[in-house]
Amino acid sequence: MSPAVQIDDLSFAHPGSDLPALERISLLVPTGESVALLGPSGAGKTTLLALLDGRLRGWQGRTSVLGASLDPDRPPLRARRPDTGFVFQEFALVERSTVLRNVLNGRLGRMSPLRALMGSSTSHDLETALAALADCGIADLAERRVDSLSGGQRQRVAIARCLAQEPRLILADEPVSSLDPARAAEILTLLTGAARARGATAMFSSHQPDLARRFAQRIVGISGGRVVFDVPTSDLSEEATANLYRDTERMPGVGLRAVS
Amino acid sequence: MRFRGFGGFAASTLVAGAILWSFMTTDVEFSRLLSAGPRIAEFLGRMFPPDPTVMREIMKGGAETLRIAILGSLGAVVLSAPLGILASETMVSPPLYRTVRTLLAFIRAIPLILVAMLMVGAVGLGPLPGIIAVAFHATGMLAKFYAEAIDGVSRAPIAALESAGAGPLARLRHAIWPQMAPVIARDTIFRFELNLRESLILGIVGAGGIGFYIQTYVRSFQYDKAASVTLAVIVMVVAIEAINVALRRRFA
Ligand SMILES: Nc1ncnc2c1ncn2[C@@H]1O[C@H](COP(=O)(O)OP(=O)(O)OP(=O)(O)O)[C@@H](O)[C@H]1O
Ligand SMILES: [Mg+2]
Repeated sequence: MSPAVQIDDLSFAHPGSDLPALERISLLVPTGESVALLGPSGAGKTTLLALLDGRLRGWQGRTSVLGASLDPDRPPLRARRPDTGFVFQEFALVERSTVLRNVLNGRLGRMSPLRALMGSSTSHDLETALAALADCGIADLAERRVDSLSGGQRQRVAIARCLAQEPRLILADEPVSSLDPARAAEILTLLTGAARARGATAMFSSHQPDLARRFAQRIVGISGGRVVFDVPTSDLSEEATANLYRDTERMPGVGLRAVS
Repeated sequence: MRFRGFGGFAASTLVAGAILWSFMTTDVEFSRLLSAGPRIAEFLGRMFPPDPTVMREIMKGGAETLRIAILGSLGAVVLSAPLGILASETMVSPPLYRTVRTLLAFIRAIPLILVAMLMVGAVGLGPLPGIIAVAFHATGMLAKFYAEAIDGVSRAPIAALESAGAGPLARLRHAIWPQMAPVIARDTIFRFELNLRESLILGIVGAGGIGFYIQTYVRSFQYDKAASVTLAVIVMVVAIEAINVALRRRFA
């Protein structure tokens, strides 16, 4: 079976920026694994995940996702996009729509264009959305408007939308950053559990090494756009983690980039 | 608040000068001013009791005003949809939206009654010049509101739907429209209310509607009839206001 993600010598700079956000990254993620991305602010975690989601243009290197190589010059085929699900750092929900409508939006890429336009979901779409809501523990919120929800509830809606999409690769950008420790553990249990139950691969970025250890089988440390370590969770030393965050203090350039 | 320093002095001199100038150059005779009170009272007296026999004219004129407001508003919506897009920062380039916004500001600056007079000159008496005038005048505001509604749409959910594989039409329907629709509905209703209120007087310049009867009765010294029509207009304005308050509550 081909790996879920295969990256070879990948470099990328954001448009208008001279400093690369990703520098010569190589990474292999086997199908079904849960991987955590650790790294200080501005390390390039969001950039890497967005690139794997097919949203960035103009990078160098070779990247393939779910067995298909990404093209640095054009977005992926629309038919492939539902296979990669993204949980956005800021949720990116439609505030005035209901929770159920937002979760059904995750299925738009799997509907016929006419159904997607009319918003007439099949019973299968509806069942999948309701199951995702139930998995996330928010079945009772289905008819609520998103703008009436708390941050933690929104987080669950964002994850439910991603699960309803039935992705084979789940990319989650700091899915627990705005939650208290108990909530954070719950959400990660949910996310990695759902991925495992569906045979999907999960990559999530985090600022909390202890949570990464608990929920990921492998941990990738990124700093200044480079991979600093890439190890099975059991092999990760306290020292490596500490160095990951200390390095940036010695590298003023990276700190500056994080601000700009 | 007190005026201070030279700026304050200059401002008060200017205001005093303006008032003096107006008095000196307008022929306000003190004796006429004194007799104005009783004259107005007498005039109002002649309006009483209002003549209730003009009910038919009131209904006819009121219905025409309503039609002018509805069709004028419809015209404004049709014009504002494309102009709103062209005046939006997120849809077109800066030179284009700045030009369109300036154009809209010019349109807003022309009073409706002036547009109506010009239209009467151009297409003749009746409701048609009224409809055209309302459509033109209201577009100045409505297109600006529509542009703001478009620019107020948050980008993140659109990108999220694209990432999930939704096509452009599905994104428009499920990410852009839900954010825009309530704003557009509220703005359109607000503008319709203004259109209805403002078109009540269009008839005075011959552009159709209930205002026509006020003008006709005043000119022919039938003040009791003019009074009835005026009362009807007041009742309509209050009714529009009441409906508007109720609607606003729904959209809050
Ligand atoms: N749209 C952009 N344009 C220019 N530079 C950008 C853009 N987005 C990010 N960067 C830069 O790219 C680098 C990596 O940013 P990225 O958002 O990937 O970091 P991150 O690891 O996700 O940080 P955080 O933990 O704070 O979310 C930073 O130096 C950032 O300033
Ligand atoms: Mg980030």
